[in-house]
Amino acid sequence: MIIAGRHLKEYFPVKGVRGAYVRAVDDVSIDVHEGEIVGLVGESGSGKSTLGRLLVRLLDPTAGDVLFNIPDSELREYDDALERNDKQMVKKISSKYSILRLKGSRLKMFRREVGIVFQDPYSSLDPRMSIADIIAEPMIETGLYKRAEALERAEELLEEVQLPRDFAYRYPHELSGGQRQRVAIARGIATNPKFVVLDEPTSALDVSVQAEILVLLRELREKHNMAMLFITHNISVVSYMADRIYVMYAGKLLEYGPKTQVIRSPRHPYTQALISAVPEVGREMRRVVLKGDVPNLVMPPAGCRFHPRCPVAVAECGWDSGEVSEAINRLIEARYAELSGKLSVKPKGPLALEVRGISAQQLKQIVDAESESTKALKAIYSIKDAGDHVEVSLAAPREPRLVPVGPGHAAACILLEGKEGK
Amino acid sequence: MSKEESIVKIRDLRLSYYTRRGVYHALNGVDLDIMRGEVLGVAGESGCGKSTLGLTIMGLLPRNAAIENGEVMVDGFDVVRPLREYFRRSKGKFKPTKNDDVLKKLHKAMMNIRGVKVSMVFQEPMTTLNPVMPVGYQIAEVLLQHNVSLLAKRRLARAKATREDMKAILGYLRGNDMASMMDYIKSRRLEGIEDQVMAYWRRRDLHDLVKEIRILSLCCDAVNPMLRPGLSYAARTNRLPSAPVLRQLVRHELVKEGYRKAAEYLGLLGMPEPEKVVKMYPHELSGGMRQRVVIATAMINNPELVILDEPTSALDVTIQAQILDLLKDLKQETKAAYMFISHDLSLLYQVSDRIAIMYAGKVVEVGPKDSVFKEPKHPYTQMLLEAVPTLEPHELKGIRGEVPDLRNPPKGCMFHPRCPFAMPICREKEPPTVDVGSGHKVACWLYAGGGEKK
Repeated sequence: MIIAGRHLKEYFPVKGVRGAYVRAVDDVSIDVHEGEIVGLVGESGSGKSTLGRLLVRLLDPTAGDVLFNIPDSELREYDDALERNDKQMVKKISSKYSILRLKGSRLKMFRREVGIVFQDPYSSLDPRMSIADIIAEPMIETGLYKRAEALERAEELLEEVQLPRDFAYRYPHELSGGQRQRVAIARGIATNPKFVVLDEPTSALDVSVQAEILVLLRELREKHNMAMLFITHNISVVSYMADRIYVMYAGKLLEYGPKTQVIRSPRHPYTQALISAVPEVGREMRRVVLKGDVPNLVMPPAGCRFHPRCPVAVAECGWDSGEVSEAINRLIEARYAELSGKLSVKPKGPLALEVRGISAQQLKQIVDAESESTKALKAIYSIKDAGDHVEVSLAAPREPRLVPVGPGHAAACILLEGKEGK
Repeated sequence: MSKEESIVKIRDLRLSYYTRRGVYHALNGVDLDIMRGEVLGVAGESGCGKSTLGLTIMGLLPRNAAIENGEVMVDGFDVVRPLREYFRRSKGKFKPTKNDDVLKKLHKAMMNIRGVKVSMVFQEPMTTLNPVMPVGYQIAEVLLQHNVSLLAKRRLARAKATREDMKAILGYLRGNDMASMMDYIKSRRLEGIEDQVMAYWRRRDLHDLVKEIRILSLCCDAVNPMLRPGLSYAARTNRLPSAPVLRQLVRHELVKEGYRKAAEYLGLLGMPEPEKVVKMYPHELSGGMRQRVVIATAMINNPELVILDEPTSALDVTIQAQILDLLKDLKQETKAAYMFISHDLSLLYQVSDRIAIMYAGKVVEVGPKDSVFKEPKHPYTQMLLEAVPTLEPHELKGIRGEVPDLRNPPKGCMFHPRCPFAMPICREKEPPTVDVGSGHKVACWLYAGGGEKK
């Protein structure tokens, strides 16, 4: 395994609010094998770029570990130890392979082994450095070559990314977007890394240029047997590039597996919606249109983070009393006007509601009739008369785990857990 | 023919930008029609003139833009005439600074077209909206600019309508008898109420009973008697009264009415809790909601053409799907034509009736969607389609080379330096546009050159 992230968390503190964190990445594990291209897909704000940066230690995680170049047998041992909670063993293996404790020259050695290419080739290249200097910088910085050698090698690298050698003495502003991105790629692979993170490398480019860059990246992989983490929001691009795909949503990993599995038979409702929303030439779309937006990551939804938008959500997906009372209020206003004004709903603790102005019988009828259109009502587990008000209690949420659904294919949805049990 | 079939007719449009670093020939002879009620997709790489074309139709050109030739007829009105005439007068000594007076004239002439007949949705919803104004005001502003009389009528109608009126109107609605409803409204002189009634009646998320209660409550909303003459003046003339104090008061009343209309319209666009949303500022809304607001500002005056310039490029795929769904619904409800500009061919396939492919300021291929996508004729279109990644992976092929420098565009066919089929004639003469059947047109020597081989 070239890179293995284990239970990575990255919480960014919110300025000015003590104790509030943006949970950009929350308990994500990821594996990248030698020479493999892994696609990491997600919407903006899903934490995919943060994860990419954690893996090459541009960020230090709040919790979790990143293991570099670890033999598979030892990784298995490590995972077993984690499960058994054998702290000593974990510490022993981690001290050997973890990148988080690297310092000084050993950190530089690690930096030589990894590379990164950023999204925007207009802001990631220093406008005051010549192309040769830009490409040579990582080689000089990590002590791989002396300056003169590095500049020579920079020219070779230009050839490798199919740019003329004399570009070495130009400056970024003289190049077009596609050419700049080639330069950024040359810089990313300058030290002959074993693992490269590509953070949306083609999103800012035209399709015609994108196609060329993608072809180039595949060639480079063949030639140098580099492992790549390809971060993008474009599933079609991932389906061209990747061997395996990871899908992230709101800081959580929802599904991963071999490319063909994930794209042809996605198991998580989010992945299904995402893939159905990809427009394609020659195929009329059968879109699953998701309501709403990506959640706020300071106060992420309980349970499964996707549940407020999920078209197939069930009772235990993580509804809390706030969501349910809002849903009831909205429903009353839009569909049961005769009750509006009379009925009041108050959350009472995370899993109970107090409803006034309606009988338990009546409320039951409404809930039964509307629970298909308003998924939040599915969480209602019992409705009881309690003197002057009705007490509604909700089903306790369950945190979904990643369940295997095929060879190397897993998804985190409680609907799948149920099937596994049967 | 009094009403033409096309809403926009562009003929041999040549436009250049004069800059310090030279003259950029941005549009080099564009011929294009947009039919009433169709969706025309416009595709091409960046820098091929897609956006410039949209801005020209809107008359939103910068001062350094020179119209060297051609016309842009929007509903029979030649938008670029003053600019073209200025360019002819300048006899090759075009100076951007002297363009200002001409542009002023153009903007004045465009007042009756922009926002009324043609409107535009831009790519970035955050930069399109004004960050210091509530979004409701920004929608209301469009109405205050062009449709004061509608707002005044709505307000007066609510003041005049009685509960009996509303009950009668509801009766017609339940019987689905729109014609009699309109007759009744006319006979009771309640014009303006139908706009509000229908806004609730067509909402899908509301229960019928809720709709009826909301419609019934549209009556007996008394208006300050001092404002009455001002409002009726506005309703009659589509202008605000000129007396200063009255003008302010009436304007204030109509801004409130504008918010109301904005909320109704956002409700129709499927925005949850529109009454709250209109009071919010752009930064409080998410990207998808903002783009809905922008679409509302563009659509609220029922324009005949909406230009959508990459409306979903800044949005996530799932939000893009929401917006596409919304546009599909709007297309069914209104009779507007859409010009959908995008670099994403697969997206255009989903939304368009016809497709125009642009390259270096020219339309190189145009035709019905199916025919252009299934049998692309122009080598550029073919190569563009091969470069699009799909879910079922296929060999990707990029297009070698770059979009030409438009300061000195190549001679002959602009695409010849990148074209694998280039022939000697391509380097010398511009190819004519030929029809290859059923409205599918292509500008390429491969199809026109039969008789002219050298």
